[in-house]
Amino acid sequence: MISADLTIILPETLLAGFALLALLWAVYSSKDKAASAMVWLTSAVFVALAGWIASTGGGTQVAFGGMFVDDGFARFAKVAILLSAAVVLAMSEGYMSARGLLRFEYPVLVALSAVGMMMMVSAGDLMALYMGLELQSLALYVVASLRRDSVKSTEAGLKYFVLGALSSGLLLYGASLVYGYAGTTLFSGIIQTAQSGHVSIGLLFGIVFLISGLAFKVSAVPFHMWTPDVYEGSPTPVTAFFATAPKVAAMALFARVLHDAFGAAISDWSQIVALLSVLSMFLGAVAAIGQSNIKRLMAFSSIAHMGYALMGLAAGTVFGVQAMLIYMAIYVTMNVGTFAFILMMEKDGQPVADISALHMYAKREPGRALAMLILLFSLSGVPPMLGFFGKFYVLRAAYDAGLAWLAVAGVVASVIGAFYYLRIVYFMYFGDDNTDGLDGGKSPVLWGVLALSAAIMVLGIGNMFGVEAAAALAAASLVN
Amino acid sequence: MENIILFAPLVGSLLCGFGWKFIGESAAMWVATGLLFLSAALSWVVFLTFDGVTEHIQILRWIESGSLSTDWAIRMDRLTAIMLIVITTVSSLVHLYSFGYMAHDPQWHEGESYKPRFFAYLSFFTFAMLMLVTSDNLVQMFFGWEGVGVASYLLIGFYYRKPSANAAAIKAFVVNRVGDFGFALGIFGLFYLTDSIRFDDVFAAAPQLAETQIAFLWSEWNAANLIAFLLFVGAMGKSAQLFLHTWLPDAMEGPTPVSALIHAATMVTAGVFLVCRMSPLMEFAPEAMMFVTFLGATTAFFAATVGLVQTDIKRVIAYSTCSQLGYMFVAAGVGMYSAAMFHLLTHAFFKAMLFLGAGSVIHAMHHEQDMTNYGGLRKKIPYTFAAMMIGTLAITGVGIPLTHYGFAGFLSKDAIIESAFAGGTAYAFWLLVAAAAMTSFYSWRLIFLTFYGAPRGDQHTHDHAHESPMTMLVPLGVLSLGAIFSGMLWYSSFFGHADQVGKFYGIPYAEAAAHGDGHADDHGDDHATDSHAKDDHGADGGKGKDKHHYVFTGQPGEGALYFAPDNHVLDDAHNVPNWVKVSPFIAMLAGFVMALWFYIWNPSLPARLAANQRPLYLFLLNKWYFDEIYDALFVNPAKKLGRFLWKRGDGDVIDGGLNGVAMGIIPFFTKLAGRAQSGYIFTYAFAMVIGIAVLVTWMTLSGGAH
Amino acid sequence: MDEMLREYLPILVFLAVAIGLGVVLILAAIIVAVRNPDPEKVSAYECGFNAFDDARMKFDVRFYLVSILFIIFDLEIAFLFPWAVAFKDVSMVGFWSMMVFLAVLTAGFAYEWKKGALEWQ
Repeated sequence: MISADLTIILPETLLAGFALLALLWAVYSSKDKAASAMVWLTSAVFVALAGWIASTGGGTQVAFGGMFVDDGFARFAKVAILLSAAVVLAMSEGYMSARGLLRFEYPVLVALSAVGMMMMVSAGDLMALYMGLELQSLALYVVASLRRDSVKSTEAGLKYFVLGALSSGLLLYGASLVYGYAGTTLFSGIIQTAQSGHVSIGLLFGIVFLISGLAFKVSAVPFHMWTPDVYEGSPTPVTAFFATAPKVAAMALFARVLHDAFGAAISDWSQIVALLSVLSMFLGAVAAIGQSNIKRLMAFSSIAHMGYALMGLAAGTVFGVQAMLIYMAIYVTMNVGTFAFILMMEKDGQPVADISALHMYAKREPGRALAMLILLFSLSGVPPMLGFFGKFYVLRAAYDAGLAWLAVAGVVASVIGAFYYLRIVYFMYFGDDNTDGLDGGKSPVLWGVLALSAAIMVLGIGNMFGVEAAAALAAASLVN
Repeated sequence: MENIILFAPLVGSLLCGFGWKFIGESAAMWVATGLLFLSAALSWVVFLTFDGVTEHIQILRWIESGSLSTDWAIRMDRLTAIMLIVITTVSSLVHLYSFGYMAHDPQWHEGESYKPRFFAYLSFFTFAMLMLVTSDNLVQMFFGWEGVGVASYLLIGFYYRKPSANAAAIKAFVVNRVGDFGFALGIFGLFYLTDSIRFDDVFAAAPQLAETQIAFLWSEWNAANLIAFLLFVGAMGKSAQLFLHTWLPDAMEGPTPVSALIHAATMVTAGVFLVCRMSPLMEFAPEAMMFVTFLGATTAFFAATVGLVQTDIKRVIAYSTCSQLGYMFVAAGVGMYSAAMFHLLTHAFFKAMLFLGAGSVIHAMHHEQDMTNYGGLRKKIPYTFAAMMIGTLAITGVGIPLTHYGFAGFLSKDAIIESAFAGGTAYAFWLLVAAAAMTSFYSWRLIFLTFYGAPRGDQHTHDHAHESPMTMLVPLGVLSLGAIFSGMLWYSSFFGHADQVGKFYGIPYAEAAAHGDGHADDHGDDHATDSHAKDDHGADGGKGKDKHHYVFTGQPGEGALYFAPDNHVLDDAHNVPNWVKVSPFIAMLAGFVMALWFYIWNPSLPARLAANQRPLYLFLLNKWYFDEIYDALFVNPAKKLGRFLWKRGDGDVIDGGLNGVAMGIIPFFTKLAGRAQSGYIFTYAFAMVIGIAVLVTWMTLSGGAH
Repeated sequence: MDEMLREYLPILVFLAVAIGLGVVLILAAIIVAVRNPDPEKVSAYECGFNAFDDARMKFDVRFYLVSILFIIFDLEIAFLFPWAVAFKDVSMVGFWSMMVFLAVLTAGFAYEWKKGALEWQ
């Protein structure tokens, strides 16, 4: 029944409708003057939707003949996406309006990309997948070059767009191969083809191309090259957005495709994902060492973190998916806090991204430095911060699945990666005292987000605020 | 009460060590000392009121892991009670003594605070030692065992500015590790075999152990023998028996009160205590006990020979200690645990006193320790002289032969020598007698060199020699009481007839069936006259001393000690021929006359003898070259290995490898990754295309080929 | 599977012919053509007079804008045609789907109009 279908996609419909109405209302009335209010409104809508989705009952519902799936896994991912997007929006407002960047299109674009992401994580069909992916990506391309008069920002947008188009091409090619060999685009149909015995080589090629396209979205090596440039060029709030919600969506989509559509060929894709994982972890760790721009550094950091999340996926088990979800939840929380800190890095009203500006920061701002220290420890996986447990989960998942070598590689990479996180700590606490320090950045919102995120890293070790159990339910609903 | 005894020293140690900054130095020291005296007083109360029945006082549950269940509990029996009085008495007196001895230590600068630290260490040692002797299981005992090791290490190295003190501390620690390894293996073995480390369980299982074979290293062993041997290895280390004795003389680097407390009276006797504590097991391990006897006798003899030629006053006493410990092991080895404990008790008094007396001499002579620089001191320090005299009379065993009247050492040492003879080991007997002669010789030599003759050495020092303060003399006085009377007082309890000993230790005993009157004076509940309490020691009749004849009937674990039914050494020892009983006295007289001749009548003789018998003299002076042999065999190879691992292994391989990775390889890749990030879209697209080509190829080659 | 692959064979043949033809023509030009270049021959031809500007010149970005907007509505038409042709068979759901689609497009169109994207000056 069509009305039942519509009920299932009601959150997405509402958000899309909200975006359209907001767009029209803003363009016909106050234009950019209402942008601040729109940002807050959008953020509030995200939170409200997240609360609604989280509170709706369990069970799996399917709409439009299987094209749209609403299950525990999708709900978990949607809540994570919406909440992180809401926080990032809230963080952007002060920064962007101070620099005259805040346009009313920004919240609308973010809302539209959120619709895309929600579509992605609920996709039950290759076409739905592609539609969600593109809706998300197109919105992101635009926000990347939001600062139209900046060469770097436009370059970032353009690079992202061109390479994104290439990746979409790969993905579509993979999708067409899969369709060609499976005879259907529905995940439930594809998995039956694979279950009937052996997986044909054409289907395997389709998987590889699909994985490549998705790997681009999660910026896994070797499809990661756009990440540092785009992160560096985009306005910092946009970078913060890139590093959080879309990553969750892409990882969730990754998991959904691999398990829902190719759950019968785990041994085949597991090695590919493991390879991507190990490459990402090492490249992320090694390349970040050479960075002096904190946004580029965070780009490589997120590449490495995606490697760990992929490790959970590579396990190919329920526990692996659960570990991945937990990892992503922790990762998003850490990153939100870290970007709150980066947004506060300014001098004479100008944003600063060079990490050498942090020399002896602890002396001037002990509170913020401490919060950042906790986040950096957590990012590098130092116990007892939450980040350690995230890593611990994925390592255990990999180990349990017989991928001991991958787990060992993950530990080694995390040791290498600890260097660049700890170097920032070193700068903040033991660096030279003769450089001119940062000033400003007095935003209470940012400071609150930073402090909250750091506090979660410490306090969450008790029960992770229930994320673990939720992730277990979500994973169970995906893998069966 | 036992809890207070146990924890008072710990509290004192903590208060003194950490609290002296708040309550002041002397207050801290008095707190520690006061608590020790409290503990000593309670110990005497416990000892005198103890009724011989073993008690278990639970303090806390300690370790629960699998089938390993360990309580922290006090096992209160006679053995513990004896050790309690020995430890707390000597320790409290040493605390008191240290007020005087440590008052102006030249090792420290003006205004430096070292005394509270010293007292804290002493109290901590006492606590650890009490832990050891009150333990209810082997793990707890091991804990105390290592605790005293740590305290010993800290106190030997107390003068940490002296390299020799640090070296001695390390040596003591390392040599003890060798012994502890054996001890630990023994504990593991017991746990492996009996699935418990509680003494009660272990003792109960001892008879089965004797019938168990166990594979260890390259062959099959009798389990009881093997474990007894391993435990004895631990005892060897702690009690400085031959081959593991080298640390004890060097430990004299520590302050003299430490030598008195730790390296004479208490810690070094822990090995003897261990063997006695494990008597139910030892009784089932005849071969191991043979070894104990053999090694004890050899040590007694060896240490006595070395003691003959040493000139450092503390080293002489140290070798004397080593030798006396050998005596105790002989007693334990032949099965006369009570005699071993007897000598342990008396030895603690007179040896502590000798050390404290030596400390008083050293104090008087401004920290001069070489006896060749002493002489004629008896007028200058009369009280110290008197104390040393009493100590010497005690250690050499002066008394009235064939009676039970004499100084402490007379009774306890003769008891051991008689037991050795009765135990049937002529080797041990003759070595011990020879050692007794030498003991007498070097002890009198010490007295003559120090207190008689003309003053030698630095004139100025002799002029300023002065009697020690009261705090040092009082302990000497108290200990001299022990040195004089402790032997006579407790002779019958330790070495009397089976019923007396049995009563003292809480061991069930019964009148021997051979005498047939069926009267049982039984402490055990259900140990009526056992038929197996047979015997045929028919030779006893002649003595006519005993109206009744008793034998021990306890099962392993009952009472503080266990004597196997076929262990008649106690009885036999009372019935040895008179020449045996007199022999130690003769030996003592011979040693005394020799010393008199060498150092009073003809003082030039020793030098000439040393010149004549140079190789022998050097052999003895260099302690049978044990240190040199160990240096060549173990120390130097270990150092070389250590140097190799340090320079090559750690420096080159590990550091070099890590540095190479961290500073060479990773930065190289970092640069490479940086260069790949060219900023050109075509490079990026190329990377993606290459990536997908690689993935497809790999998929084709590995998984997808089927 | 082979059955299905066989259905794609004509496409493969077509591709092969197309590629082959292209290659043949290019190669033929390289192999057969007479080459005798001089500066006049290789210079850009601009109906009789010397070129006064590079052939590659900047366009106004508004050309792109217009072309992109054109493509959007072009595609809209492409969607509308089959819908209109099959209008008789389309259910109410189909009808309203297209209406929603058009509404979304219209919203975008209104936005760009108001934004001034269609003004050329």
